[in-house]
Amino acid sequence: MQERTLCAMHFPANPIAHEVRSYRSCRVETMLKIENLHARVEGKEILKGLSLEVNAGEVHAIMGPNGAGKSTLGNVLSGREGYEVTAGTVTYNGIDLLTLAPEARAAAGVFLAFQYPVEIPGVNNTYFLRAALNAQRKVRGEKELDSMQFLKLVREKLKVMQISDELLHRAVNEGFSGGEKKRNEIFQMAVLEPQLAILDETDSGLDIDALKQVAQGVNTLRSPQRAFLMITHYQRLLDYVVPDFVHVLADGRIVESGDKSLALKLEEHGYAGIGASHPAGAVA
Amino acid sequence: MNEIMNKQSSSAATLRDNADVAEALGRTYSAGFITKIEMTGLPPGLDESTVRAISAIKHEPEWMTEWRLDAYRHWLTMPKPDWAKLNIDPIDYQAISYYAAPKVAPKSLDEVDPALLETYEKLGIPLHERAALAGVAVDAVFDSVSVGTTFRKQLAEAGVLFCSMSEAIREYPDIVRKYLGSVVPTGDNFFAALNSAVFSDGSFVFIPKGVRCPMELSTYFRINAQNTGQFERTLIVAEEGAHVSYLEGCTAPKRDENQLHAAVVELVALEKAQIKYSTVQNWYPGDENGVGGIYNFVTKRGDCRGDDSKISWTQVETGSAITWKYPSVVLRGDRSVGEFYSVALTHHFQQADTGTKMIHLGKYTKSKIVSKGISAGRSSNSYRGLVKMEKGAEGARNYTQCDSLLIGKKCGAHTFPYMEVKNPTAIVEHEATTSKISDDQMFYCRARGIPEEDAVSMIVDGFCKQVFRELPMEFAVEAKKLLEVSLEGAVG
Amino acid sequence: MNQPASLPLVASLLDAPLPASGLGWLDAARRENRAAFAAGGLPDTRVEAWKYTALRGLAQRSFGSGDAAAQTRAVDASTLALPGVAGVRLVFVNGAFRADLSSLDELPAGLSLQPLSQALLGDAEPLRFALSRHYRDVGDAFAQINAASASDGVVLRVAAHTKIELPVQLVFVGAEAELAWHARNVIELGAGAELCLVEQHASSGQPTQLATLVSDIDVREGAQLHHVVLQDAGIGANLFRRNSLRLHARAQATLHVLELGGALVRHDLRAELIGDDAQLHTRGVFMPHGRQHIDTQLAIRHQALNTTSTSHWRGVANDRARGVFRGAIVVAPGADGSDANLSNKNLLLSPSAEIDTKPELEIYADEVQAAHGATVGQLDERSLFYLRSRGIPLAEARALLTAAFCRAVLDDLPNKALREHLSGLLIAQLPA
Repeated sequence: MQERTLCAMHFPANPIAHEVRSYRSCRVETMLKIENLHARVEGKEILKGLSLEVNAGEVHAIMGPNGAGKSTLGNVLSGREGYEVTAGTVTYNGIDLLTLAPEARAAAGVFLAFQYPVEIPGVNNTYFLRAALNAQRKVRGEKELDSMQFLKLVREKLKVMQISDELLHRAVNEGFSGGEKKRNEIFQMAVLEPQLAILDETDSGLDIDALKQVAQGVNTLRSPQRAFLMITHYQRLLDYVVPDFVHVLADGRIVESGDKSLALKLEEHGYAGIGASHPAGAVA
Repeated sequence: MNEIMNKQSSSAATLRDNADVAEALGRTYSAGFITKIEMTGLPPGLDESTVRAISAIKHEPEWMTEWRLDAYRHWLTMPKPDWAKLNIDPIDYQAISYYAAPKVAPKSLDEVDPALLETYEKLGIPLHERAALAGVAVDAVFDSVSVGTTFRKQLAEAGVLFCSMSEAIREYPDIVRKYLGSVVPTGDNFFAALNSAVFSDGSFVFIPKGVRCPMELSTYFRINAQNTGQFERTLIVAEEGAHVSYLEGCTAPKRDENQLHAAVVELVALEKAQIKYSTVQNWYPGDENGVGGIYNFVTKRGDCRGDDSKISWTQVETGSAITWKYPSVVLRGDRSVGEFYSVALTHHFQQADTGTKMIHLGKYTKSKIVSKGISAGRSSNSYRGLVKMEKGAEGARNYTQCDSLLIGKKCGAHTFPYMEVKNPTAIVEHEATTSKISDDQMFYCRARGIPEEDAVSMIVDGFCKQVFRELPMEFAVEAKKLLEVSLEGAVG
Repeated sequence: MNQPASLPLVASLLDAPLPASGLGWLDAARRENRAAFAAGGLPDTRVEAWKYTALRGLAQRSFGSGDAAAQTRAVDASTLALPGVAGVRLVFVNGAFRADLSSLDELPAGLSLQPLSQALLGDAEPLRFALSRHYRDVGDAFAQINAASASDGVVLRVAAHTKIELPVQLVFVGAEAELAWHARNVIELGAGAELCLVEQHASSGQPTQLATLVSDIDVREGAQLHHVVLQDAGIGANLFRRNSLRLHARAQATLHVLELGGALVRHDLRAELIGDDAQLHTRGVFMPHGRQHIDTQLAIRHQALNTTSTSHWRGVANDRARGVFRGAIVVAPGADGSDANLSNKNLLLSPSAEIDTKPELEIYADEVQAAHGATVGQLDERSLFYLRSRGIPLAEARALLTAAFCRAVLDDLPNKALREHLSGLLIAQLPA
């Protein structure tokens, strides 16, 4: 409903803001369409023709061995510097995602949960999150939240996510345990309410209790308007967040796709041989 | 973002427009307006007659005139300073006017020229008592003279003396005579000698024994007239057990010439007294090509004369073309404490050489130094500090932390700490780092939707947090915004 | 102010007979430096680099330059042997090469080694670059004296891609007479070469002397130098060493220094990392006691991409002694990827001793990791208590912890026998 009102508003001449608003406001069948994506890192080709379609409401798991290009995919989608796209396209809600700056992608509703969340000493977690939310809202032409409104929102989310508010008083990720950092990422996602959430190895380094907590957070945020791309090495996260689709990424391409049974098969047989038995072009 | 200094302005709408225009023009120095006011003053030039003339204008007693002349004669014998890290065109001391004042001298606040009041309002200083809702007592110095002190009555009831230095010399000659020059002797250094000879005004604070000053005291300094040097002199004395917190703010109009500011600040803390001195220095830094700006050569020193006394300096330095300033503490009393918290930001062609000296003489004295330097553009930013443990400094301790942040490839960040230790029971620790804002931090912020410039100021603010915490609330907000303004255009 | 030339020291130093005089460029360089020193004299403490080392006392003395009797001074060669160091050895007594005390018979292939006095008699042209420098700054007074008056030293070259297995030992002995001597080393490691160089300062008798030693060391692409310095000069020695080190691309140098002896000792290390990926690691301990004054000055310049320097120095000052340390790191514009780390920790053991330390960072590039730290203090109380609670008497616990404090920076010296020997000397110098 927000989108509807936005289309009618008058915007000042800020091309990125305008673009962001216009695609938030338009309904397109496919949310994310990746076609024949090639990307290089430090001169080395990592993604070698990756294609993938994601629709609203879907949860996709991307699995694959180390070095297959899983994290590269997440970083390319969120616009990290040093990841050079050499061919292919990424269309998000009908527009070319690759031309947008990282903050414009965030404002457009793309969220990356980092594999290694960054510590920012001296910057308070709450302050950071409010600055992020308001920056995104500003680009979208929405009213910024004052500190009371924001605090109310944050408290709600904390309750839903079952996170203690002690987290809020600390500096961004500073001195957080591995589990706390990952939960903080999910909490940020809850507050920022993205349309497309990319979880980069969110399960790595977590014990089973922490994993359950993170998974529960993700499940709470599942909705028909929101899509998830879960990048993971292990099957165990998928026990708790059940995906609609599972893709196997090997040597920079998706070599096999299926439903969650594919993950179980991988668990049994491992990744060995998958790339070889499925030559390029085998993707459905 | 440019409304900071104008925040007290009446019309929010005009303010918004101004801000938009300023933003469109890139970084601007928002305190750079010139006040049109009739001025009187001495012609440029310096000799004994100039010193006598200043003393005469101020109706000073004979001893004060002699004190100035002694300082002047000493100054003549001193070599001009030559600092390794500063790049300075020679200063022509004969081209400077040593006294400038509004033509009509105000007798009370009600008589202050409205144009002047407006100036201070633009600066956001609640000078007029009716507007002084902030509850901060203010002394304001415009070019060479003090134009009014607020809250005098309330302060007097508490026994606190807060007035201009000229007034203090006339009204409280015994106190002034006892303490003036007792911390910074007239011949201490080139600029201190010059200041002693020609200082025109400044603030005087005296907190008697056992009194806790009921409000924050504050002075705003502004240089307005052209070719004028500002040489103010501040003296703060806290007697036994007295407490005071003092704030100082500085601005100057944009001019193409460099202007000289050479102040001397002396603090005296007797037994169990505490003085907290905070500065937000925003003198005109010159433009993006390095033209104009203030030369800021300041001698600030505190003397923890009594046991268990404490002196704390906090400074946020964003202005001036050149800053040369080392607020220091002499820890004479046993168990006395000295602190120095500093944020210095330089951009474009600014040069800052700042730091502190902690001289430990007494037993179990403690000092703490936290310095945060941020360099952007083609600027140069140096920390220079001395920690000295003298023979008698039994069990004394110092901890120093010095961090530098670089924004861009053409600036410099330097750290020169000196540690001299003569007592085997003293402990001195120094740590310093230099780094830039990491690409990871930037990307993390941007991936959450925070634009590049905001991300930079957020990270810089985090970097400075330890120092901002030490500032009184209103100043902390102002300091933070000042950093944002100063950093505009630093990225990309 | 002083009229430099009227100082006894200045007048006394400038009249030595020198080898290879008549060689135009060398004469000119000696003349220039002599004139510069005569005009500027010794720096006073207002010169930043000499802030903590006063030369007033020294300036009032006079020393004759050179020793005509150097070849006949009695020196017990057996005292010069170092454990773990058994290879080529060059010995200089009062600055003059002593063939009888040296062993140069079995030079390994790829190593060329000659006393400077001999090298100058042959083809001197390869030395021209190093020996024709003019020092102009008043802070460089001892380099001026050296350039004007050095009569001997070492010319050492290692051929490209040659690894010299055994350490090369250079010994400088101050013997008997009250005089001044000046030595000059020119050292070059060819691309990919490897060398361990052990520099030793010792004495025979305890003469009051003034000595200067200037070393130019070039470490070419990918070469590796291990340089160990044991400074155990006599208690009358005024010793000024200056070590200019140039590291080319991928070159690596490690320096381990133990400063024990001398009356007034100054060590200047000027290292320039001029090639990409060059690495420098310096470690050192200075332990002044009695009335000794030991001053160490490091100036490390990162001038190329991805260069690394680490410096860990420890100081222990006892009695009425003074230890001075300056560790300056400069990262030049464009030297991105530089990683520089320096620490200096000091113990002050006596109420009459003094430590002055000044780490410095000067950074002109932004892709940089740079950090330094310095402390002056005492032994950790908790560690002391822990040792005592296990039954170790206080004095012994102190000695143990102090030794451990110093030894920590010598731990990565690869030559085990030498490391243990230095460790023993260090412990012997600690108060009982």
